[in-house]
Amino acid sequence: MSIMLQRWKVTTGGLLLLAAMYACAVTGAGYDGDGGVYVGGVYEAPGFFGGGWGPGYHVGPPRGGARDARGGGGGRAAPSIPSRGRSGGGSRH
Amino acid sequence: MNTRCHRIRNALPRGLCALLLSASYAAAAIAAPFELPPLVTPASTEHHVGKVVWVELVTPDLAATERFYGGLFGWTFREIHSGSTDYSVALLDGRPIGGLFHKAVPKDKRRQPAWLTFIAVSDVDAAKRTAVEHGAKVVFEPKTYAQRGRQVVLTDPEGASFALLASSSGDPPDFLASPGEWIWSSVHVRDPAAEATFYKALFGYDVFDVPSNDGLKHAILSSEDYARASLNAFPDNSSQRHPHWLNFVRVTDAARAAAMAVSLGGRVLVEPHVDRHGGNVAIIADPTGAPFGLMEWSDTDSKEEPK
Repeated sequence: MSIMLQRWKVTTGGLLLLAAMYACAVTGAGYDGDGGVYVGGVYEAPGFFGGGWGPGYHVGPPRGGARDARGGGGGRAAPSIPSRGRSGGGSRH
Repeated sequence: MNTRCHRIRNALPRGLCALLLSASYAAAAIAAPFELPPLVTPASTEHHVGKVVWVELVTPDLAATERFYGGLFGWTFREIHSGSTDYSVALLDGRPIGGLFHKAVPKDKRRQPAWLTFIAVSDVDAAKRTAVEHGAKVVFEPKTYAQRGRQVVLTDPEGASFALLASSSGDPPDFLASPGEWIWSSVHVRDPAAEATFYKALFGYDVFDVPSNDGLKHAILSSEDYARASLNAFPDNSSQRHPHWLNFVRVTDAARAAAMAVSLGGRVLVEPHVDRHGGNVAIIADPTGAPFGLMEWSDTDSKEEPK
């Protein structure tokens, strides 16, 4: 009888210890910075975008053919984005 | 009576053991390391240093954010819950195109959500060293996620946030984005010349100055003979502005998409207007305030730029 009780206590204690270890792991892990690890994104200062774009404020890619003033080398045209679709075909813009 | 007590004494330890085992298994499942999904499936050995390969949004309202982007672009979402982490992978036609991460806005700080731009590198630690040598600051130290790869979050010399990612499954191939996919990125800064030097050192970009009508400096950053992003001086010298990256989703009709964004709770920050490629662009704030761009791109764009 006492041996059974002893076994029961040891088993229960062991499992409780195991559960406690996992519970600790929960609070220390994750993606959200609670454990001091990487936050999956950033918050910025309010109003950081600022707006104020006039009609001539162009930020998009060229279609190709815009001549470079420096860096690209040899007066090459500034390249564009890929034009090849997933289904294949197409060429560079 | 004795027999009954004996049965209870026998059953009690077994029941408790079963309960504790169940609790342990449940806890183990919750405590399993958070795993970001791979960037490319099936994995490839393709790499494109300097290409924007991923974007991620931290948002205080995951459900509302999913409703907005799902309604606007037809994105679907696969949620990953692990411990206290709620993360959602945005999918277009089953392809992962971005991540949404739920986190409350810090109470003690006035902050707003923003999309974080991930740019491909082959070696995160080497790239981090180069970035820091050229004036970058580390926001989050490099960390490896088994399926995703290794990543680090930085700010450039002017303070614009971005991330470097060495994908363990390869980089997405250089295809033209489909409508609803991210197609373009721009970075907006005070001193484009200095920033061009920084990004060139980091990614080996070719830098092309492009003519402009606004008297401001604009450049195209390219690698592998593809335009990867534009580098732009702020529209004015307002001290309110903060240097930032901005990402654009391809749409077929920017005006219609902007109207739909408003009907879904967004705001138009910059009205649709013709950009240098001949299609319209617009800037939208999602319901939580995170700005992003809409960009038309088609082979038949024929709109004239306004004189």
